[in-house]
Amino acid sequence: MADVNRKPMMDRAAALVAGPFLLGQRALSLVFQPDQGAPPKTLKEAPSRITVTPPEHAIKRRG
Amino acid sequence: MKTRLPEHGPLETPQYWRTLEERLETPEAQRAAHDEFLPGAAPGTFDDVHGLPPSQSGFSRRDFLGLVSATAALAATVACDRKGQGTVVPYTRRPVEVVPGVANYYASAFQEGRRVYPVLVKTREGRPIHLTGNDEHPGVKGKTSPRTMADVLRLYDPDRLRAPKAGGRTLGWAEAESQLHAVLTGAKATGKPVLLISGAVVSPTRKALLADLKAALPTLEHLAFEPAAGDAAEEAAKASYGQAVDLQPRLAKAKVILSLGADFLNGEDPESLAAWGAKRRLKNAHEAINRLWVLEGPLTLTGTNADQRVPVAPSRLGAVAFALAKELSTKAVSLPAGADLSAIAVGVPQGVDIPAETWSNLVKDLQHAGRNAVVLCGAQMPAEVHQAAHLLNAMLGSEAVAVRAAEPLATVKDLEGAVQGMAAGHYAALIFWDVNPAYAFPRAAAWQEAVAKVPFRAWIGQVEDETAAQCQVLLPENHWLENWGDFTTEHAEVLQQPTIGTLYDTRQGEDVFLGVIRALGGHAPASYHVYLQGRWQQTLPLGTTFEQALHDGLVTSESKAATPAFKGASVAAAAQHAAASKSEGLELVLFPGFATHDGRHANNSWLQETPDPITKMTWDNPVSVSVQDAKALGIQEGDFVTLSLEGATLRLPAVIQPGQAKGVITLALGYGRTTGGVAKGVGANAYPFMGLDPTRANVRGGARLAKAGGKKDLSRTQSHHRMEGRDIVRSLTMDEFAHNPKGHYHMPELVSLYEDQTFPDHKWGMVIDLAACVGCSACVVACQSENNVPVVGPEQVARGREMHWIRIDRYYEGELENPKVVHQPMLCQHCDNAPCENVCPVNATNHSPDGLNQMAYNRCVGTRYCGNNCPYKVRRFNFLEYTAYKTEPEILVNNPEVTVRPRGVMEKCSFCVQRINDVKIRAKGDGRAILDGEVTTACMAGCPSDAIVFGDLKDPKSKVAQLVNASRAYRVLEEVGAKPAITYLADLKNPAVEGGPHAS
Repeated sequence: MADVNRKPMMDRAAALVAGPFLLGQRALSLVFQPDQGAPPKTLKEAPSRITVTPPEHAIKRRG
Repeated sequence: MKTRLPEHGPLETPQYWRTLEERLETPEAQRAAHDEFLPGAAPGTFDDVHGLPPSQSGFSRRDFLGLVSATAALAATVACDRKGQGTVVPYTRRPVEVVPGVANYYASAFQEGRRVYPVLVKTREGRPIHLTGNDEHPGVKGKTSPRTMADVLRLYDPDRLRAPKAGGRTLGWAEAESQLHAVLTGAKATGKPVLLISGAVVSPTRKALLADLKAALPTLEHLAFEPAAGDAAEEAAKASYGQAVDLQPRLAKAKVILSLGADFLNGEDPESLAAWGAKRRLKNAHEAINRLWVLEGPLTLTGTNADQRVPVAPSRLGAVAFALAKELSTKAVSLPAGADLSAIAVGVPQGVDIPAETWSNLVKDLQHAGRNAVVLCGAQMPAEVHQAAHLLNAMLGSEAVAVRAAEPLATVKDLEGAVQGMAAGHYAALIFWDVNPAYAFPRAAAWQEAVAKVPFRAWIGQVEDETAAQCQVLLPENHWLENWGDFTTEHAEVLQQPTIGTLYDTRQGEDVFLGVIRALGGHAPASYHVYLQGRWQQTLPLGTTFEQALHDGLVTSESKAATPAFKGASVAAAAQHAAASKSEGLELVLFPGFATHDGRHANNSWLQETPDPITKMTWDNPVSVSVQDAKALGIQEGDFVTLSLEGATLRLPAVIQPGQAKGVITLALGYGRTTGGVAKGVGANAYPFMGLDPTRANVRGGARLAKAGGKKDLSRTQSHHRMEGRDIVRSLTMDEFAHNPKGHYHMPELVSLYEDQTFPDHKWGMVIDLAACVGCSACVVACQSENNVPVVGPEQVARGREMHWIRIDRYYEGELENPKVVHQPMLCQHCDNAPCENVCPVNATNHSPDGLNQMAYNRCVGTRYCGNNCPYKVRRFNFLEYTAYKTEPEILVNNPEVTVRPRGVMEKCSFCVQRINDVKIRAKGDGRAILDGEVTTACMAGCPSDAIVFGDLKDPKSKVAQLVNASRAYRVLEEVGAKPAITYLADLKNPAVEGGPHAS
């Protein structure tokens, strides 16, 4: 009887792949709700790095 | 929970309360007392954590387990992503001054209005990251103000203007300056006036530069505008001394201090706070203590520290102060020549509710203290109150206040004159230099209309503001940490030097004006650095070099200027005015915001999120209403009200403030900005309520308040992290301290099944003296800067999710109308038997061999059991990702010694473990033991009144080890047996007692 109730192999494989995928999608939709201050879906282009230069003529106390 | 408290708790202790609801024991307060966290911060469901309405997710256990497996799969996938991968590369050519991993310190200085703060700037890899006071300065002695410490964040403000602009177009400096030069050359040729509006001038070299500019451009007119400085103080100084003056309290010499609405303990004046702390950190009752009398309308931080406080409306303070002078004059305290008090009657003025006994004690105190008494007046009080304070100090011959001549400031009346000049087409050009009158001038519409009639407007500043929006040419200015400058202080000439090269294509304002002088045919050096150095070389004392002065940040000097003489003839008119002064309707007091000051700090998120020391509000400026007025008007906490006065109307939320005088309402300035990524839309702009009469611009009678319907969910922290009304805060009077130094408390006998932990080398501990702590929040800001504490925003604060590692709990005791107040800094107590450690399922929080309760962030899985089990409610959970999405320039302020915590991680005070390890490594390198006082936590270093002492409890000679055995010492919730490493010393109050001793 157990063999009769068992799902075909392809169904089981599909469930194994699709289950986490669908749940993952749901998790993302829960976490990143637009009104919850979520980060944008695509991150903004990172601004160019700011060059930090030492001060001219300054005298440090210690370091 | 209260019923389960052990019997050995406090016996007859005063009942302290933090909110009105607690005091009135409403059902909500009783329910809240049993809930350890606000709903938003409580360990709850998935919905709570993610801020969803309760039923939105419909999340079941089955779904949860499914989600966990999916998340694991996704996490594994994401972990394969190469995005966000950083690269560590060595310098190809290392700057001489920079050694990776080693901090550099530079002396510099910060100016806010007429105040100057000498500072020491810590830089890492070339980035300024933390500020403290300059320890070489004889006045501030290593201390500074909360706003100064927070101003390092402004250097990295992403809203900073990065290049010159004209007509909305970015352009080069040469083109922008040529436009300015052409207009000024034309104005010089035609003889048409040019108006320059700047902030206060307290720099001798800037003053010289402005004189050179005036010589090159004779038609230049200059106004120094500081909207929060208090016009009334300026007017009163002119009347009493014939010139502008700057008053510096010398509280070390004061035995009796009378404050007439003066908030000198609000954190702005580190010198006064240090002197105050020194007089309050008593080892025994035989040591001398001062006495602070406070007469005020609003409840100020100074009022909360008073030994005797009486609520008095500001409009009646003048009459009270002159009545005091009259009374003293009948007791052999002579009036200055020419002073006439015939308009004043002896005794408490009519309509002022001061008990006869209190009045008598105050008069005796002032009389007996004589020159060791001082009367201080709040900058916002009406001019006649200032004049009365000047008179009282002159009568007493007070040595506890230094009066110095100062550069005059423009009042609102002067600005009104300028507006009329603009409207009449008087000016060829306007130049705004680091000021924002378009926001701060009371008649904004008239200002805008008048400014539009001036053909050319130029703006020099950092972040485009309301004034910049009215200008054609915008010239971006350096942050002061990129600038050269100098300032005159009471004890020293102070230097400002850059601690980083300019981040953007900006210049300092002085360099712009040197360019103007050259363009107009004058002679000026190529840079302000050369100009400044040239002047300093001429005045340096023999044997001191400019480089040495830069190294120290100052050259000590004592002011040789004569003290301005008090003019007795000014008294009669002021006394008459004060006697006749009365307020109709509600009296509105406008004062600078604790976080925002006059609005210049409104774009600083650290300050916006620091709770106001009195109201505990963040991110807002509600109107404060007295308990009596709220009852009469039916106003509840958070109710929207309509505030109206002479045509100006605002709809804003109300808070009910215990201790505020009846008939007085207060509103903070500096909010309601219309520009700035942080500042825009936070709170309401109160400047339209400022009066055009400079003698009482900040105190306005005839205000009307009415309920407007609706309620606001206030971002207020005073009910957060409550500890169920247990015996937490202790306060003693001097009489109790003399006769029963432990108070009415007794130490419970603690029994433990466990053996005491042993500490082989060190046992770090802390002592906090509540008598010295004034509640100024300097420690909160210092900790935020040192430990990369994130800002969460008003919505999250309202949910109880603020992240500060140290908070100041403010407790009231006694009557609603005038309660006693005690402030208590609360941070992780680093308990030996830490309840948080036992419940962590992954051992993320554990105990170090030197007594630190430490966190392994990478190990924390965010169960929050530790926060639940902490009796002190000092653990903070990252409910959301507060920092990972920040980019440059914001992240440049981070301290590289402290991990930036991600979402889902619990965090808390670490006793600045990075500082401990730094000292340990250095001591080991030198082959010596760690010295007492060598390790300083950020809160200790930032505390201006030295209320916090940190050190090694295993060293019996250490200061901290000696203080834990003091008679006032106690540990919070000692009865639960957690064995905290922080010891508190009970607060002290020194009220006057009828028949008791008076200061002499």
